[in-house]
Formats: sequence, C-alpha cells, structure tokens
Amino acid sequence: MSREKRAYLIVAVLSPLAVLALWTFVTHQKAVAAIILPPPEAVFASLIDMLQRGYSGVALSTHIGASLTRVSVAFVLGSILGTIVGLIRGRVPLLDAVFLVPSEVIRPIPPLGLIPLFILWFGIGELSKILLIFVSVFLIMMVSAHAGAQSATVDTLRAARSMGANSVQTFRFVILPSALPQIMTGLRVAMGTALTILVASELLGGDRGLGFVILDASSFFRTTYVFAGIIIIGAIGLASDRLIALVERKVVHWRGKQH
Amino acid sequence: MAAQRHLQLVPRSDDAQQPAAVDAPEVTASAPRTRSGRAILKFDRVGFAYGSRTILDNVSFEVEQGEIVSLLGPSGCGKTTILNLIAGFLMPTGGFCLAGGREIVGPGPDRGVVFQSAALFDWMTVAENIAFSLRCAHKGRRERDAIAKEMGALVGLGDRLDAYPYELSGGMRQRVGLARVLAAKPTVMLMDEPFSALDVQTREALQEELLRIQQHTGATIVFITHSIDEAIFLGHRVFLASSLATGTFEEFTVALPQPRDDPENRLHPEFIRLREIIYRRMRNPGAPASRTGAP
Ligand SMILES: Nc1ncnc2c1ncn2[C@@H]1O[C@H](COP(=O)(O)OP(=O)(O)OP(=O)(O)O)[C@@H](O)[C@H]1O
Ligand SMILES: [Mg+2]
Repeated sequence: MSREKRAYLIVAVLSPLAVLALWTFVTHQKAVAAIILPPPEAVFASLIDMLQRGYSGVALSTHIGASLTRVSVAFVLGSILGTIVGLIRGRVPLLDAVFLVPSEVIRPIPPLGLIPLFILWFGIGELSKILLIFVSVFLIMMVSAHAGAQSATVDTLRAARSMGANSVQTFRFVILPSALPQIMTGLRVAMGTALTILVASELLGGDRGLGFVILDASSFFRTTYVFAGIIIIGAIGLASDRLIALVERKVVHWRGKQH
Repeated sequence: MAAQRHLQLVPRSDDAQQPAAVDAPEVTASAPRTRSGRAILKFDRVGFAYGSRTILDNVSFEVEQGEIVSLLGPSGCGKTTILNLIAGFLMPTGGFCLAGGREIVGPGPDRGVVFQSAALFDWMTVAENIAFSLRCAHKGRRERDAIAKEMGALVGLGDRLDAYPYELSGGMRQRVGLARVLAAKPTVMLMDEPFSALDVQTREALQEELLRIQQHTGATIVFITHSIDEAIFLGHRVFLASSLATGTFEEFTVALPQPRDDPENRLHPEFIRLREIIYRRMRNPGAPASRTGAP
C-alpha cells in the first residue's frame, strides 16, 4: 500500500472516531439533554436490546430485511429502467422529445409530495413504498444515463463508423462504455437517495422496516432507538456505497486516467 | 521537379455547360504521375459550407492508388474538412466526392482515419483496439488475436498488446491509432496531423515507419500536416492549400530518391530546394502565380 493510500485509510477511520469522541464528550458534560442527544453508550445499549428482543414485537432482522427488500427491488428496477430510458433519450432525439416535458414536470416534485397521491392510487401497502423509491431512483438514473449517452466523443464515434461498426456495434462498443462513468456515479447517488426515501416511504404506514422503527421510536421519544435505527441505515448506506464504488473501479478502470 | 499550378480548372458558373470530364485531361497532362496512374480518390468541383459559411468551393483533385499526398495549409483553411469529406463524415454541398469510382455516401472500412487525438477506445486493450474492425466484421477471436499481434508488431508495440491506452505514451497511442487502421486493410488512409504532438525523434521515426508500412501495404495516404518537412518527406505530391474557399491550391511533385524512408532524404538537395519554394509560397501566398479568379 502506498503512503497516500495508507494516510487516506487512517484519516477515513480517524474522522468518525473523532466524531464519536466529541459526541461522548458533549453528552458527558451534560451540555445537552439526553432526550435530545443521548450518550453513545445508551444508543449502543438500545442497539443490543433491539438485536436481542427486536422492536415492537418484531425481530430486528425482520425490520432490516423488510427495508432492504423494498430498497433492493426499487433500486434494481429503477436503475435498469432509468438507465435504458436515459440512454435512449440521449441518442434518439424524437424519443427524447417524448419524455422531455413529463420527466421535467415530475422531477422537481419532492417525493414526500407524492405520498398522498400514492396512497390514493396504490394504497398504503408495499406497492406504494416501492414505487416511491423506484421513482426517485428512476429519475436519477435517467438523467445520469442521458448525460452519459452523450459523452462519447465525436472522434471515437467517427473512428468506430470508419472501422465498419454498425449502429448496434457503435452503441455497444463506444456509446455504452463512454456512458459507464456517469452511470456508475448515478448509481451511487441513487443508492443514497433510495435510503433517504425509504424512511419517508415507511411513513406510509405498516409495522416493519427501519424507517418504521425510527418514526415509531421518535413519536414515543425513545431517542436512543431513533439513533440506533439511524446508525443501522447509515451503516447500510456506507456498505452499499463502498460496494458500488468497488464495482465502479473495476468496471470503469480507465476513468480519470486518460491523457 | 516541382510542378506548380492551381487546380481551379472549371469555374463554378460553367458547371451546366461543361461536363465533369473536362478537368481530368488537363490535370494528368501537366503532371505526369509516378504512381499507378489509376485515380482512387477524385474530388470533382467539390463545395462545402457550414450554413452560409463557404469552406470549400470548386475544389478538384485526384489521388492515385498507392500515392501519398501531403496536405499543407494555414489553420482553418479547410484541410480537415477535405479529410472528413473523403472519410464520409461530411457530405459535400456541391460537386462530387468519389472513392474507387463510386460516390462517397458515408464512412466505411475502405477509408481508415488516423485522428490527431488518436481517438482510441480507453475501455479496450491495445489488442482489442487494433482488432476493432475485425470484431465489427464478426471475425473470430483467433483471427483477431493474430491480426492484433501482426499489426502491433508492425508498429513496434508487440509487447504492449495487453496494455490499456492510458498506460501508453502519446507516441505509442498514435501507433495504436495507426495499427488499428492498418488492421482494417483500408485502400485509403486519411491522417490528420497524427504526429503533431510528438517530439522530433519520435515523429521522424514514425514518419519513416509510415513510409515502410506504405511500401509494404501499398495503401493510398492523404496526410495533413503543418510541417513543411513532414509534407515533403512523406509525400509523393504536396498540396499547398491557400484558399480552398476559392478552390485554389498549388501542387508540388516530390522527386526524392528511393527508398523514401531513408532519413538522409531530409538532407537531399531536392528536399532543401522544395522546402525553400514551399516556405516562400506559404509566407507570401498572395503572389500572382497561384492566384486565380481574382479580378
Ligand atoms: N462544426 C463546424 N461548424 C462551423 N464551422 C466549422 C466547423 N468545423 C470547422 N468549421 C470551420 O471551417 C473552417 C475549416 O475548418 P477545418 O477544420 O477544415 O480547418 P483546417 O484546415 O483543418 O485547420 P487546422 O489546420 O487548424 O486543423 C474553419 O474556418 C472552421 O472555423
Ligand atoms: Mg484540421
């Protein structure tokens, strides 16, 4: 490991430890009420408690499983469809025109604003929750892939054509690889957003999911459980982002190395 | 011997009355060709405009099979536009562009392009870049590997076939761009200032390499450059474009001894002589001898 890499790793580990230390210090000085900001060890105790006895009669793994299922289904479907639509929009002007107004009208609407409509249309079950996440992921991926589809340079496109590539081959060998860096970045942004919307979607009701845990605990002022839930979601976010970043480095190995 | 003349043979207004055939005899009569004598590229009173901006007007010339033509001229005079027309990336707004006797309707593997930017595919290895045209033609892996090896070796990259373009130096990337075009076995190679970003040593080495390869493959080459030396060293003929918007350019025949890839040719009296003439012409493009259509 190079010096820079080691330094990077050390700083990346030290920074959360510093936050933890600050958090411990502030709470032990009794600078803030425990109900506003509980001390870390209390949050940790709640975490252990949830692991052992679950939350509101449901095992923690069931809560996590329910949330992960919603996010995964919505993320996979949303990113596949969003990428396909985005790539098509980026290359076929007439189809781009078809999508332009509808997608630009929907895009600025905050997902929370869609909740009442979704309840009306799809009820308060799984479908509404998944669709809400799906829409956010879809829109992000559509924009990323749209931009990506246009990032192939004129020269590489011309080079491909003059070496006999037909439209399908040009797409597969030039347009798609050129779009990959933006698609991969889109996936990371979309995953972060998906987890955010997850909590909001679980406002829609139901009795399981990490969002449910956080919302339920907060309405009973069980702040330590709120924090425990936040930390679990944060950990999932960190793990998924690192995973996508790892895939990204493998898939778009040339990124940032061109001369 | 340098044959100097302009190629605006048929004024545009005469198009209707004068059929295309008129210009051909005069061109061939005044400059006997050293090559095959068979025109593979033919521009017949070609015009091109971006919107209302005329870039080319009434440009006519022929390039023979197996010939290297260097294209010199001031920045922005339309050299790349000519290349793009031959490649089929652009369509003329007037006249005809012919390759192998047929009108050019689009890009094709018979006309390979070496870009100034190399324009390699960063996501493919050197071997995959070189064999790209074969992949498009649905050739099998074995054939692709064999050609990549052969062409890689030809341009001196036999040991870097598994590298990615970003792991190569600028000169190596240019060679991949060259090998990639050679692998497609084009009848015409179009090269747009491919060596301009390189140091003198690499540049001269690649020039000699290109001449050897051309000898070997018999490809026809149109080579754009800003360097008078490069134009003379490589070309059988040098076209000096002064104003392509009025169709005028001058032509110089390069009579350097064989083998053409001999580096000593750069010191040959004919080389020095031609360089001086072209240099003066470039410094003083308004001199009467090259002017036509002026009132
Ligand atoms: N896409 C375009 N739209 C409008 N004008 C263009 C476009 N591309 C080139 N031109 C114009 O056409 C003219 C000829 O361009 P071209 O690229 O053929 O010049 P060139 O002789 O190759 O110059 P250089 O030696 O600098 O490469 C220039 O004046 C340029 O401004
Ligand atoms: Mg140019």
